[in-house]
Amino acid sequence: MKRREFLSMTLGAVALAAVPAAVRAEDFRKSKPTVWSAKTVDDAIKAMYGSTNLVMEGVKLTAPDVASNGGAIPVDFSTDKDVKTIAVFQDANPEAAVLVVEPNKYSVNKYSIKIKMAKSGTITIVAEGKDGKLYAAKKTLDVALGGCEG
Amino acid sequence: MGKIKVKAKLKNGVVNVKAMAKHAMMTYNMAEKKTGSRDNANFITHITATVNGETVLDMSTSQFLSKNPIFKFKFQGIGKKGDKVEMVAVDLKGKTYKGKGKIK
Repeated sequence: MKRREFLSMTLGAVALAAVPAAVRAEDFRKSKPTVWSAKTVDDAIKAMYGSTNLVMEGVKLTAPDVASNGGAIPVDFSTDKDVKTIAVFQDANPEAAVLVVEPNKYSVNKYSIKIKMAKSGTITIVAEGKDGKLYAAKKTLDVALGGCEG
Repeated sequence: MGKIKVKAKLKNGVVNVKAMAKHAMMTYNMAEKKTGSRDNANFITHITATVNGETVLDMSTSQFLSKNPIFKFKFQGIGKKGDKVEMVAVDLKGKTYKGKGKIK
């Protein structure tokens, strides 16, 4: 086992035991299973990147201030940094991770997605730069009607 | 079921893609409430897009995307009008969802 994986697994060991089903599936879900079962944003970021030392710049995040429907909240995010991965987290649901994108040479790093949030909370986007820094943006929003029980 | 709608448009050298996968995106809590078992949770876990065999999107996802999730993304340097953007998604139960759209 690689050292890096071992470290991240230790960090998320408790959460991993709680949701074993999340271990199946592909790529980041396979290589970093603890990210998907982490209960808090900090734990998930740690599991993903091994650090929570965020630089609050370089990432643009757009989401409504008040979401009338928590079942489908439009979230736009983009970065002009040269990044290896971009991850989306939130703190309103039982687990924190929403998705991880792995850009490639063709990518224009601007994405729009729709997410679910069970209650009001904060969305955190973390982009791992090729320079090793973790660029991030946060946005706190009110959710008027919770989405699908998280 | 099992389909992804893909729309792609070329503008100023950048291809804008809008895709919608038809999927319930059932979370663990929803599954427990509705069916009594968390094991019935099902959601898309991985989605990729390719053009001419080259990957242009590689995304690992969780249960917190909305029902029938929409993905918008962009790419450049590959793909011309008439080329097809092909998308494949896999869900937690291993079912594959496919869709393609011509770049307009």
